[in-house]
Amino acid sequence: MSEQEYYIPHGTYWPIIGSIGVTTLFVGFANQMHGVEWGGSVMGLGMAIVVFMLFGWLGTVVNESVNGMYNKQVGKSFRWGMSWFIFSEVMFFAAFFGALFYARILSVPWLGGADNNMFSGATEALETSKYIWEGFQATWPLINTPGAIGQSGVEFSSGFALVDTWGLPALNTGLLLTSGVTLTYAHHALRKGHRNSLVFWMIATITLGVAFLGFQIAEYGHAYHEGLKLTSGIYGSTFYLLTGFHGFHVTIGVIMLTVILYRIQKGHFDSDNHFAFEGVAWYWHFVDVVWLGLFIFVYWL
Amino acid sequence: MGYLVIAIIVVILFSLGSALIGMVKGGKEGSDKMFKSLRLRISLSVFLFVLLMFSSYMGWIEPNTTMLPTQ
Repeated sequence: MSEQEYYIPHGTYWPIIGSIGVTTLFVGFANQMHGVEWGGSVMGLGMAIVVFMLFGWLGTVVNESVNGMYNKQVGKSFRWGMSWFIFSEVMFFAAFFGALFYARILSVPWLGGADNNMFSGATEALETSKYIWEGFQATWPLINTPGAIGQSGVEFSSGFALVDTWGLPALNTGLLLTSGVTLTYAHHALRKGHRNSLVFWMIATITLGVAFLGFQIAEYGHAYHEGLKLTSGIYGSTFYLLTGFHGFHVTIGVIMLTVILYRIQKGHFDSDNHFAFEGVAWYWHFVDVVWLGLFIFVYWL
Repeated sequence: MGYLVIAIIVVILFSLGSALIGMVKGGKEGSDKMFKSLRLRISLSVFLFVLLMFSSYMGWIEPNTTMLPTQ
C-alpha cells in the first residue's frame, strides 16, 4: 500500500453483530430490573455476543495489521483513537473525583453550617441539627447518616468503622505500583528486543494485577461486613463507585495485558513497531495513577 | 506535607500527559518520549508511596482511620 491510500475494509459484518449484542444486553438488563425471569439469561447472552464481537472484530484488525495492510496513516488514526478513548476515561474519573471533592469540601460542611448559607443564618452554630436533623455532625467521612428510609426504600446503614489504611489498601497500593515497575521493565525489554525478559515482566505484571483484584474483593467483604455499603450515605456511595469502577478498569487492563502477552508469543511486535503494547501500557499506568489518587485522597489527605 | 504530596501528584499527572503526547506522536522520537515519561511517572509514584509510609511511621502525618464507635 502506498502512503497516500487509506485501507478501508469491505463487507464487514462485525458492526451489526455488535448492535445485536448490545441490544440483547440492554433488553435483558431492563427486564432483569423489572424482575422478569428470563432477564438475567438474556443479559448473559447479550454479554457473550458483545465479547464474541470484540474478539472477532479486534482479531480481524490484528490480522490485517500483521498482513501489512496498514500504512502510517492508519497507524496515526489508531493513535488518535486511543487518545480520544483516554480523554473519555479521564473525564469519567474526573466526574467521580469531582463528586467526592464536592461532597467532602462543600456540601457536607454547608450542611454543618459552614460559610454563609441558609443553614447558618442564625447565631446558633449548627442550625441544621435544629431544623433538618437533630444531632447532625459535619464530619468526613460522614459516619452517621440519618436513620431514615432512603428513596429506594432501603434503610441507610450507619455507624460503620473505617477500614485500616495500614492493612489491605497500603498492600494493594504496593502491589499496583510494583506492577507499574514490572511493566516499565517489560517496556524497556521490548524496546531493546529482549524477548524472554519481556515475557517474564509481562507475566509478573499480570500476576500482580490479579493479586490486586483478589485483595480488593477481600477488602470489599471486610468493609461490607463492617457496615460500609453503597447505601451508607455519601461516603459509602463515593467509596464504592470510585474503587469499584477502578477495579473494573484493572480487570479490563489485566485482560488487555493478557491479549498483548499472547500477541508477544505470536511475534506480532518488534522494538520499533508495537503500538498495541504502548496503548495498553499507557492505560495500565493511567489506572495505576487513578489508584494512587484514590489511596491518597480517600485514605490520607 | 499535604502541599508536597499534591505537588508530586501534579508532576506525576504531567509526566503521564507527556507520555500520552509521545504515544500520539509515534515513531522513534515519540516512543522515546513516552518511555522516559512513564519511567519518570512510576519512579515518582513509588517515591510518593514510600514517603507517605515513612511519614506515617514517623508520625508526621495521620491517616483517615479514626475508628469511630459503631452503633
